Amino acid sequence: MNDYSITILTFIAIQAIVACGLNVIVGYAGQISLGHAAFFGIGAYSSALLTTKAGLTFWTALPLVILLTGAIGLVLGMPSLRLREDFLAVTTIGINFIVESVFLYVPFFGGALGLGGIPSITLLGTRLRGPNFLYLCLAFLAVVLFLSRRFTRSWGGLACFALREEETAASSMGVSPIRFKLLAFVIGTAMAGLGGALYAHLMRFISATDFGFTLSVSMMSMVVLGGIGTLWGPVLGALILGVLPEVFRPLIDYRMLLNAAILLLMIRFQPAGLLGEGSLLRRLFRPGRDSAHE
Amino acid sequence: MQLFFEQLLNGVAMGAIYSLITLGLALVYGVMRILHVAHAAVYTAGAYVGLYVFSITGSLLPAVPAAMAACALLGTAIERLVYTPLLKYPPFVPLIGSIAVFLGLEEIFRLVGGPYILSFPAEFPFPGITVRGVVISPAIISIYAVSAAVLLLLWFIVTKTELGLAMRATSQDREIAGAMGINSSYTISMTFVLGSAVAAVAGILVGIYFNQVYPTMGAVPAYKCLALIVVGGLGSLPGAVLASLLLGVGETLLIGYANIPLPRDSLAFIAMIAVLLWRPQGLLGNR
Amino acid sequence: MNDILLRLEGVSRHFGGLKAVDDVSFSLARGEILGLIGPNGAGKTTCFNLISGVYAPTKGDIVLEGISTAGFPPYRMAAMGVGRTFQVVKPFSTLSVLNNVQVALGLTRYGSVLSSLGPWDTKASRNEALEILEEVGIAHLAGTPSGQLPLGNQRRLELARALALKPKLLLLDETFSGLRHEEAAMLSKLVLGVRAGGISVLLIEHNMKVAMGLSDRLVVLDHGRLLAEGKPEAIRSDPRVVEAYLGKGASSHAS
Repeated sequence: MNDYSITILTFIAIQAIVACGLNVIVGYAGQISLGHAAFFGIGAYSSALLTTKAGLTFWTALPLVILLTGAIGLVLGMPSLRLREDFLAVTTIGINFIVESVFLYVPFFGGALGLGGIPSITLLGTRLRGPNFLYLCLAFLAVVLFLSRRFTRSWGGLACFALREEETAASSMGVSPIRFKLLAFVIGTAMAGLGGALYAHLMRFISATDFGFTLSVSMMSMVVLGGIGTLWGPVLGALILGVLPEVFRPLIDYRMLLNAAILLLMIRFQPAGLLGEGSLLRRLFRPGRDSAHE
Repeated sequence: MQLFFEQLLNGVAMGAIYSLITLGLALVYGVMRILHVAHAAVYTAGAYVGLYVFSITGSLLPAVPAAMAACALLGTAIERLVYTPLLKYPPFVPLIGSIAVFLGLEEIFRLVGGPYILSFPAEFPFPGITVRGVVISPAIISIYAVSAAVLLLLWFIVTKTELGLAMRATSQDREIAGAMGINSSYTISMTFVLGSAVAAVAGILVGIYFNQVYPTMGAVPAYKCLALIVVGGLGSLPGAVLASLLLGVGETLLIGYANIPLPRDSLAFIAMIAVLLWRPQGLLGNR
Repeated sequence: MNDILLRLEGVSRHFGGLKAVDDVSFSLARGEILGLIGPNGAGKTTCFNLISGVYAPTKGDIVLEGISTAGFPPYRMAAMGVGRTFQVVKPFSTLSVLNNVQVALGLTRYGSVLSSLGPWDTKASRNEALEILEEVGIAHLAGTPSGQLPLGNQRRLELARALALKPKLLLLDETFSGLRHEEAAMLSKLVLGVRAGGISVLLIEHNMKVAMGLSDRLVVLDHGRLLAEGKPEAIRSDPRVVEAYLGKGASSHAS
């Protein structure tokens, strides 16, 4: 396997981590977030700054990065998640634009030139590159998937499912909507922060335009394509949307159009995604009825 | 002082154009509760069709109605093919559909019209005037005149006609409106026809005013106008107009004139968040 | 020691100019089945929404076991021992019938983020949920996706979920509407059993037969105000009540 393919796969693994985070918010708790790329960016920038300006290593910075991203998610989520769905959608778009602007215009974040010179990750004395970096990302992906699954098995996860289906009924059974929506949001943004940190140390150079609204749409597309609320859906979505541009490389001019067309066809005819309830794939491979949660 | 007034008038002109786009969004949200992001692609289509017809005929007279008709068709097609079938799903499903349509259309504009910025060398049909030393260009006069005419027409339709009544009833409560004999499917389609035609006019105005027509000219309005309908109060038509005018003036004065170091395009979102914190239902909303 | 479980004191709820509930006061004794009746639009569901926390009263107070609960949100009222069903059923459609009840069993866990981290689908919780489903008679449907049930069973599921909260006060919102005679009879027996188990019941009912038959006492609302209260026999023959119903041409269909 050549270097290029490995980089693509590493990129896909990172996107999958972030998409899993989005899936917790959108799929498990049923809250819309069209600004997820902002938190990916917050993770990337905080790791970049902590390792360059504060001299920490990737590993010592990581817990701080995850905590910081989650904390910002908490602060931004608190007013936003109280809003009705439509307001929430526009607010998350707004958060994306504003965070991107902050990265772009505040000199501390490097402005339009971005941040460079981000160190690579060292584990047990060796610099992680190429395949080793990929393995690291896959390991983190496994952790994220494990945590997602654990979440669906916890009372908190059940509370989120209930909120997603019927907020009023859930509330009358003791589930505080804001508390559990926030829980899902913080988990989701923290995962995005993790992905961001990995991204920063993969690319060694980041700039604000990497984390714009278009990326949020891509992330949403991954979750939708794979299957909202399923465990493996975001991974499948990240894989397909990561591989597709390479497959369509010869059609380079029509790439974006095809992406949009695929997203449109998917949402129009199979909104539950490839792995979702009632989808074609599911009916082919799992003909029996199964209960709603993973 | 003179410069201030000129900037103020520019701001109002921008606001007027924003309101033409935002009204379409507010109308659609009112009857369907969908955030019609793809509306900005309809706006862009208006600019392209208008430019095309103008370039063949050399006159704006056929260009404007042609663009309005084309956009009405496009808007209704989006409604019939994408939104209406997706109504039974949670709201983010049609929203993603809208975003997908928007991105796809942007690409189609790029592939068909070319990625370059095209110029729209039409002349505004109104003369400029100078009032006490303040120069008001033909462009500004035309924008005011056209927007005022369109807004007046819309106001008339919404408040004085049966269609307008049907639109308002449907936006209040679709089921009850249906029970009273209002054909919601027709009402909704007509809403798209109206909103899209108005967006076409906005597209042509912008195309001529900035002398630029390009595939991604809808990107900024797509999301900025969403913030505007939230600020105005989702579904409130006067709110949409008010928010648009305020933003137009705000952007031009605060950033163009007073040089406040904020990125121009995020002012809309900052304003939106500020308004939501103070008045969660928007300026003129009531839910 | 107080015999009174719930008391409404001068409760009003205004929506702009509309006085959905206007200066209503009544109380519910422990172990009582109280029927809340009145023509359409009388404010009965608004009362429920006030008691269960969906709305806060514009004026007045709601006192549960001596504690003022006006303005408490629904999830707090659930923790305080109020369980309710909804007139328009609200099942967690993609979850199974069993899962729906298990959600309610988590009441004690939802209080803090930490306690909500434990696993929910344990043998113990499944068994407990099954027992409750047995009580209401739909245990055989445990694995069915709750969105697919017919109305009668949906109503029972609503009841099962409310019971799973181990409430002190059960609010039944038109639980009998749209049911066939035999179903209504079975549900009535169930409600009596619930009361025998120590739970107090406040029910809204359009079906007069059920309301009169089940309730120990009745409270009649009309246009948001308290019209009359007393035992079923007294209410049945109260001319004001008869006029309120017949005079409005009230149908017996649930809205």
